[in-house]
Amino acid sequence: MSESLSGTTAELVARAAAPLSGRPPETAAPSRGGIAVISDFNSGNLARLLDEDPSPPALRTESASFGEVFPPLLDPRHACWKDGTDAAVVWTRPEGVIPAFREALELQRPDCDRIAAEVDAFADAVIQLAGRTRCVILPTWTVPAHERGWGMQDMRSSIGVANLLARMNLQVADRLEGARRSVFQLNAQPWLERAGRRAFDSKLWYIAKVPFANAVFQEAVKDIKSALLGLEGGARKLVIVDLDDTLWGGIVGDVGWEGLQLGGHSPLGEAFADFQRGLKALLRRGILLAIVSKNEEAAVLEAFKKHPEMQLALDDFSARRINWNDKAANIVEVVEELNLGLQSVVFIDDNPLERGRVREMLPEVLVPEWPAQKMLYRQALAELRCFDAPSVSSEDLDRTRMYAAERRREALKERLSSPDDWLRTLELRVRVEPLRDANLPRAAQLFNKTNQMNLSTRRMSEGELARWASGEGRRLWTFRVADRFGDSGLTGIVSLEARGDRGVIVDLVLSCRVFGRRIEDAMLHVALRHARRLGLGRVEAVYVPTAKNKPCLDFLRGRSGPQEIDQEVEAGPRFVWDLSREHRLPDGLQLEEEG
Amino acid sequence: MDHRSRVEAVIHRVVDELNAQLPKPQRLEKSPETVLVGERARLDSLGLVNLVVALEQRIEDELGATVVLTEDPELLSEGGPCSTLGRLADHLTELLTRRESHV
Repeated sequence: MSESLSGTTAELVARAAAPLSGRPPETAAPSRGGIAVISDFNSGNLARLLDEDPSPPALRTESASFGEVFPPLLDPRHACWKDGTDAAVVWTRPEGVIPAFREALELQRPDCDRIAAEVDAFADAVIQLAGRTRCVILPTWTVPAHERGWGMQDMRSSIGVANLLARMNLQVADRLEGARRSVFQLNAQPWLERAGRRAFDSKLWYIAKVPFANAVFQEAVKDIKSALLGLEGGARKLVIVDLDDTLWGGIVGDVGWEGLQLGGHSPLGEAFADFQRGLKALLRRGILLAIVSKNEEAAVLEAFKKHPEMQLALDDFSARRINWNDKAANIVEVVEELNLGLQSVVFIDDNPLERGRVREMLPEVLVPEWPAQKMLYRQALAELRCFDAPSVSSEDLDRTRMYAAERRREALKERLSSPDDWLRTLELRVRVEPLRDANLPRAAQLFNKTNQMNLSTRRMSEGELARWASGEGRRLWTFRVADRFGDSGLTGIVSLEARGDRGVIVDLVLSCRVFGRRIEDAMLHVALRHARRLGLGRVEAVYVPTAKNKPCLDFLRGRSGPQEIDQEVEAGPRFVWDLSREHRLPDGLQLEEEG
Repeated sequence: MDHRSRVEAVIHRVVDELNAQLPKPQRLEKSPETVLVGERARLDSLGLVNLVVALEQRIEDELGATVVLTEDPELLSEGGPCSTLGRLADHLTELLTRRESHV
């Protein structure tokens, strides 16, 4: 394959792959800790599948004895909490932990108050566990499909088993709302449906106390792993699509926009329109879209402009490469333009040759096998688990607009004579806020997603971050950036810890979207000024090298402020700021402070 | 294809499926001598139950015959029908042949 690459293509691909060579992509990093499996049934099969599944994150399970649910939830010294076990899957059968429901399942008249009290007690125990772990995964309660309860009356309020079960799951969800940052209730019903008629295995149950077939556990493992990966910041952020026979039916260059299969009353037309609506729905989850297509650009632009059934507008795409160049090279260009990593990308193309080529050239890009039948496109898109993220911030939802603003910003930069002129005309405003409940989800997201401008690349859940920031002698500031072109949202974090007579900058995290606009200098200004006010003598920062954070080192070395000291015993070079003089705020930047 | 060959093919597919879920030290060799029960067995009891239940299902799906291993009280004993993969193949072949002669 590679011999057909042009020099430019080969260079682009090599450049994109270079930072990752010799180590797996960052999303494939093994989990930092083990995961406890707490269950009222024999979870041995689930534990094995979690351990052996090759997809990231790698896991090491610790199973509590089956039937033992409340002791490991409530007791931090329980044997399942070995060193490094900092997450849990709590999977129970409703009749196993809610005795009043077991009576209802045997068609005794349900005592709804008792059921509600027992459900609250269970949820509270889960919340207690969540307070001392990184995260808890809680599959919803299900009953076997053969349990028909009251038959045609089974959805009746206060009587039906199905009705009770739905209420119990919702009650747990409501009760857990306050702990939503560390407890994730996963819908187990689709696992059973995909496993088919043998989802509940009576033989495994009676012989080994395993209620579900392995097919159920295999589905569960996929969702559990994608949730854990999402918590580590590994969710994909960009979908790059081909056009002809992918976004619409037909070759636009041959048949013109009038001849495309899209919408209308034909089954295929409806399928393509539905696929486009599926992509549009991803935009609403904060996922970016881009086009990479071998095509005549004029014909494509005309199709977007004129086709009455087009569900996506050109503005919905944050970048596009419509030309006859190699698709792998085009993908690399798009990723560079959007300041993302290849590990953020999903590439969708109907052509198996193009898929194979991109897989080979860019192994970090997720290239799903795509159905040959076009009516299955929407379903294939909906089944992708790679977008699971623990929260969606306003920055995520606004990302497409932010990239459009960035294109206008760059256009202005090209027109002006110097970077300083450009920065002055941007009218930058930086709002500094302490860490609090409202900005915690976005702050944690930034912590876990930022690779390049990141001093120490610490990865922390929301709960861990909040706990760390509230420690004695620590301050953590978040930075929201806006300019005349728009609001980039919360894009920076700096934290300072006072240790005796010195301060230590523990985190310096800045989204690459705003890097290079002197926001990084404003962040240092805030931290160093605070250290001066505390009367500290100096401030230090240790740069912890990763495969991707050299821009942070370059930034620190490019400043006259800190003195660099090489220390072999530490991870990387140490930078020391003398606080006898002020670290000034960059000119032309307006700082708004709160708290 | 005779009963024995078909049973062996099913056993091999189930072993492949099972091995994919097991850590390397526990994976089974597809050989008649592979020990399934006792001190020399690589599988633990849950692994053996998985093997037996999966075999019953596969034989039903692929050969259209219902064979019942899980109700045999001698199933997990060292000299029982599951002592080795070869012994298991013999036992299943015998059950299928007996079933055919009853039809």
